[in-house]
Amino acid sequence: MSYNYRFALLTMILVAGLCIGLYASLGTGKPFTVWKWVDIASEGGIALMSAVWSLIILTSRPSGRVTTMLAGGLIAIAFGSWVDCLDEFFAIPHEVYWDNWLESLPTLCGVLALTAGLYLWRQEQFSLNEHMQKRERLFRDHRSFDRVTQLANADYLRRQIRLEQEQNPQQPCALILLDVNQFHRINRQYGQREGDRLLQAISHLLLLNMRPDDLLCRYAGDRFAILMPATNQQAVSQVAQHLERVVNLLAHHTRAQSERILVSVRIACAVADSEPDKLLHELNTALEPTPPTALNAAVIT
Amino acid sequence: MTDYYQTNTRFIPANYQAALLLEYARDQEIDCLALLRGTGLRPQELVTENSLLTPGDYLKMLQNLSEILPDRATSFMLGQQLLPGHMGNISHAMLHARNLRQALDILIRYQAWLSPLLAPHLMTLGEQTSLYWTDSCVNHKLRGFVVEMMMTAVTGMSRWLSGVRLPWRYHFNRTRPAYIEQYAVHLGTETKFNDYFDAMLIDNDWLDSPWPRGSDMATKVALSEVEKESSPSFSRQSLLSALYDYLHERVRLAPTLEKSAADFGISPATFKRHLAQHGSHFQAELDQVRTHITLQMMSTQGYNNEQIAAYLGFHDANNFRRSFKRWTGLTPSVLRTHLLQPSIIK
Repeated sequence: MSYNYRFALLTMILVAGLCIGLYASLGTGKPFTVWKWVDIASEGGIALMSAVWSLIILTSRPSGRVTTMLAGGLIAIAFGSWVDCLDEFFAIPHEVYWDNWLESLPTLCGVLALTAGLYLWRQEQFSLNEHMQKRERLFRDHRSFDRVTQLANADYLRRQIRLEQEQNPQQPCALILLDVNQFHRINRQYGQREGDRLLQAISHLLLLNMRPDDLLCRYAGDRFAILMPATNQQAVSQVAQHLERVVNLLAHHTRAQSERILVSVRIACAVADSEPDKLLHELNTALEPTPPTALNAAVIT
Repeated sequence: MTDYYQTNTRFIPANYQAALLLEYARDQEIDCLALLRGTGLRPQELVTENSLLTPGDYLKMLQNLSEILPDRATSFMLGQQLLPGHMGNISHAMLHARNLRQALDILIRYQAWLSPLLAPHLMTLGEQTSLYWTDSCVNHKLRGFVVEMMMTAVTGMSRWLSGVRLPWRYHFNRTRPAYIEQYAVHLGTETKFNDYFDAMLIDNDWLDSPWPRGSDMATKVALSEVEKESSPSFSRQSLLSALYDYLHERVRLAPTLEKSAADFGISPATFKRHLAQHGSHFQAELDQVRTHITLQMMSTQGYNNEQIAAYLGFHDANNFRRSFKRWTGLTPSVLRTHLLQPSIIK
């Protein structure tokens, strides 16, 4: 990706320089007094901005057909506008036709490529949306996504609960919190990287076992949350039990030794009929095992 | 003369906390140079056995990390791995502590290595004990981050070594954070904000309940090794931590800047300058100690204003009440009702 970007940047600078050389050698420089500043600013501005847009595309998207078309189209537009802009500085003799071609053809091709690229990008987006449906539901906010699991975070969850409560006050939604038992030991024993891999595995497993309308979030650390629209207490308890069994069956193997880690989870669930903060506080409290008294703990250990 | 370390004292072995930061950064695919920006350190220096860092370097690295990773989990993730850690014999001693009390004693005695930025203290409050933290070498911006990191470290260490999730209750000298979920998962739901301490409270019974890995022999041997290895000139406490203990002992003797400077073996001007470099001044430190002592006496001995005023050497209760309001923004009676309530969970 960074290679593409450097290559494109260098090529653009080089071509822009070559164009100046070409115009300077074939045309005659216009006197300063006849420069049309508005034209220079608008044509030069389009050239510069299109170049910047193409770099943004190249640095932010994985390589592929759509990226090539979008960036290529923008680069061609930048080229056409740049040539147009040079017209303002150099007078080309009237019998020369290539400069007209040089202005119009790249811009036309660029616009076509950009249009085709945008159309393909739309299709790409549809297939991505399908993939992301259980992770983001109704709206998109890229700041709310967790780096490890690519799931939405607690902030997003709270907003979604509120949204769901406002939109469907008649059909209360339900919320599940799920915590991995002894996750801190796994982190200590195998390292945080292995812990992250386990969280990814669990998130995939949960996604496979959810309804299309449900939303999975990484609440924090090793705690996941599932928001289920229009679900009553009985239904959510059943789902919770099912998920518990599913995760218990997971055979996760460490990368280093290929050793199987036994995973189990604790689950708390409730119908989301109160304020998100209050509800989450109650579920969090329910998840924390009540510690035995100090005296009992001594006996157990 | 009391010896102390400062923000720019070079004494933290690079293969202690810095190695952990480096490993975390590498796992998050962060460039080592970005982590070290502003410290003047080179990556090679971190991996060499005997290079030393200053608390300022360590703080700067934490700041870099918190800025590169806007993720609020960073302080908690770092804290999880911090204790007992991989700091040679000190970690070994803590690993085999026979109970929570001994582990915390080790933490406090070897705070220069285990917690160079925040100073841990223990205080008994009747049936419960408070592990509270005061500044050593931390700035206002990173304070919350380091408090989260150290509290998670102690929570994680005590949970791992005892084998149970200990029922800690947490008090924070900050407003309730928007990312409360990190607190809920890493620390628990027994959290209280807008308090005067950054403190972790636990019932006294838990301090002496034996730990499964506990071994008096192993701890004793490891600690005697630590004492043998460390040079006699090594300062065990930061300036602010040493001054806190000093003032705590002498709070009834009306300590002054001049007298304290003399006891620390430096001139009042230098003492002032050193305190200023840590963003503090003598009166602020003294007020902090007096606030802490007042809170302790109220909650444990049930002292009234007259008794506390007499203890701290005020002329009368009115004078004390006014001063207390200046330190904390609240009158003693308001605070007393606040203290006697069970921790408000929100």
